[in-house]
Amino acid sequence: MSTPSRAEILAGVAAVAREHLGFEGELQPDLRLVDALRLDSLRRLTLAVEVENRFRVRLEPEDEAAIETVGDLVAAVGRKLAAAGGEAG
Amino acid sequence: MSDTLATWLERAAGFPERGLRFLDRAERATWLGWGEIHARSRRLAGGLLASGVAPGERVALVFPTSPEFVLGFFATLLAGAVPVPLYPPARLGRLDEYHAQTARLLLGAGCRLVLADPRVRRLLGESLAAAQPALGCRTLDELPAAAESAVAVAPQDLGLVQFSSGTTFQPKPVALSHRALLAQVRILNGFWPDSPELVHSGVSWLPLYHDMGLIGGVLCALERPGTLTLIGPETFVARPALWLRAISRYRATISPAPNFAYGLCVAKVRDEELEGVSLESWRVALNGAEPVAPEVLRAFCRRFAPFGFRAEAMTPVYGLSEAALAVTFSSLDRPFRSARFDRAALALGEVRESADGREIVSVGRPVPGFSIELREEGGTLTPPGHVGRIFVRGPSLMQGYLGQPEATASTLRDGWLDTGDLGFAHDGELYLTGRAKDVLILRGRNHAPEDVEQALVGLAGARAGCAVAASFMPEGGEREVLAVFVEHQRETANELRRSLPRRVSDAVLARSGLVVDEVHVLAPGTLPRTSSGKLRRGETVRRHLAGDLAAPAAVTWPRLAGALWRSRRALGRAARVASDPERRSIDARED
Repeated sequence: MSTPSRAEILAGVAAVAREHLGFEGELQPDLRLVDALRLDSLRRLTLAVEVENRFRVRLEPEDEAAIETVGDLVAAVGRKLAAAGGEAG
Repeated sequence: MSDTLATWLERAAGFPERGLRFLDRAERATWLGWGEIHARSRRLAGGLLASGVAPGERVALVFPTSPEFVLGFFATLLAGAVPVPLYPPARLGRLDEYHAQTARLLLGAGCRLVLADPRVRRLLGESLAAAQPALGCRTLDELPAAAESAVAVAPQDLGLVQFSSGTTFQPKPVALSHRALLAQVRILNGFWPDSPELVHSGVSWLPLYHDMGLIGGVLCALERPGTLTLIGPETFVARPALWLRAISRYRATISPAPNFAYGLCVAKVRDEELEGVSLESWRVALNGAEPVAPEVLRAFCRRFAPFGFRAEAMTPVYGLSEAALAVTFSSLDRPFRSARFDRAALALGEVRESADGREIVSVGRPVPGFSIELREEGGTLTPPGHVGRIFVRGPSLMQGYLGQPEATASTLRDGWLDTGDLGFAHDGELYLTGRAKDVLILRGRNHAPEDVEQALVGLAGARAGCAVAASFMPEGGEREVLAVFVEHQRETANELRRSLPRRVSDAVLARSGLVVDEVHVLAPGTLPRTSSGKLRRGETVRRHLAGDLAAPAAVTWPRLAGALWRSRRALGRAARVASDPERRSIDARED
């Protein structure tokens, strides 16, 4: 299985934001997560877990510490997928 | 009898086939029997003592819902020390806020040692650097190997410190003795005695750093001793169906949750997630920790009746961490009770049933051993049919706020606990109407309004120091909403005024991580104040709900005279109005 591209991951995160957080705008990589998606703790948790479920990765607290923007989240998921792909291959 | 939590654990160890079951996201179970909990906790207690923990000292526990939390908790107790459960970092949360908060809690409870999950521990550096617990931070694996140990404590000794509100502003460490904890647990378990036909068991996804999850869940299972299935709170939020599936799978009879969780199930659980699920075993669906919305209860009952959920299982309750948990329980064998009350009368503190009034859910009667008094401002008893401030007395009240004698003295007086909540008695049951204390309750968690209000400091167009944050249940609403009332500056460009709501909610989100539901921009001087100029939060909400929150009109003599004349005629309180300039300016706008 090939690793999804940045654009594919972004589309997946956008789908999570739409389905689970009711976000209606276009999800740009430079948007700040908390501000753009109005994330309180419950919604942060929803986003984190739904993104994990969708991409079948597990984000560690260290990964999450640096996530501020949509792009950061996409990059973190990309790193996890690449690492998992590396192990599997 | 000098029972403590430690002696209960020893007794429970004789029932190794009962214990705690941890379910993960994939619904895989990890079993931890009471016997194993006892044996492993004794070894860890030896390690704690060897690390320098002395009896009576506080040990912070920072773990997700896991066997390690439970082992760390009981090891601390067996070492004669006092567990202080704290919450682990939130997912995607801001770590700088978390560090500042955790450091404050560690200092507030005077923790000597922090026990943490290895994953969490890697993140705790800054909190530890700020709070400097004398014995540092360890994972369970890092405790020195030592002989099994158990230090006896007395029932009046401190058994648990829990925080009444999870926010940054002056957290209050609630100090509970073993005796108080035992009394509360016995009260709760008295509601569901086992019989030859029915052995009770529980399912809970509530956080273990919260009284409802720890005292109402784990400690109740310990006393029986019984079996409790635990799910992590984040697992529940991500997939609420797992809660209902666990109840069905293990034929659980008791499971508690705050109002919002029942609403989340209605919103998110899909039929295909409930294949083969039966909720018939569920006898007691406790609903507490935040105000109960009748619409949510009805929606939940309707939605899950086809899966065997019984309406009489839904049990609204009332309690607070200062009382170790429950204060009132509604009847376990009938559907929830609600009634409608005249809004205008309620706004004046009077209770009058009215067919098209505001619907309020009964939270039932005092649990055994507890009594309730409704009091007026001055402390006298509220006459029947009136709203009063709720004072409670019972065997499980806190010793006080740890290290905060002044806060304790203003809350505990002559054996009575001032809850700061408002309510009334109707047909012998308690109904809650609001709060006199300044606290925001959002999704079962308490926050200080100051956290929100301080986010507005320096916001262009907002009048400095003239903002009130409050949460309340709107009529027909499903949950408490967070509202910010802010006065704009006198000379403010329209543009700035129009953008104020958006900027207020951004600032609050950035600072406190809370999403504001409503921003009300008010003219200068609108917010009610005390005679010394302090903002009155409760009164702000009361007036807002009564549609009565408007700016005072400019006071000119003819208007004032007219208002005085009207109010004299209408209300017969002219003397008070004339003698009190503050009242005069308020009455002057009543046209």
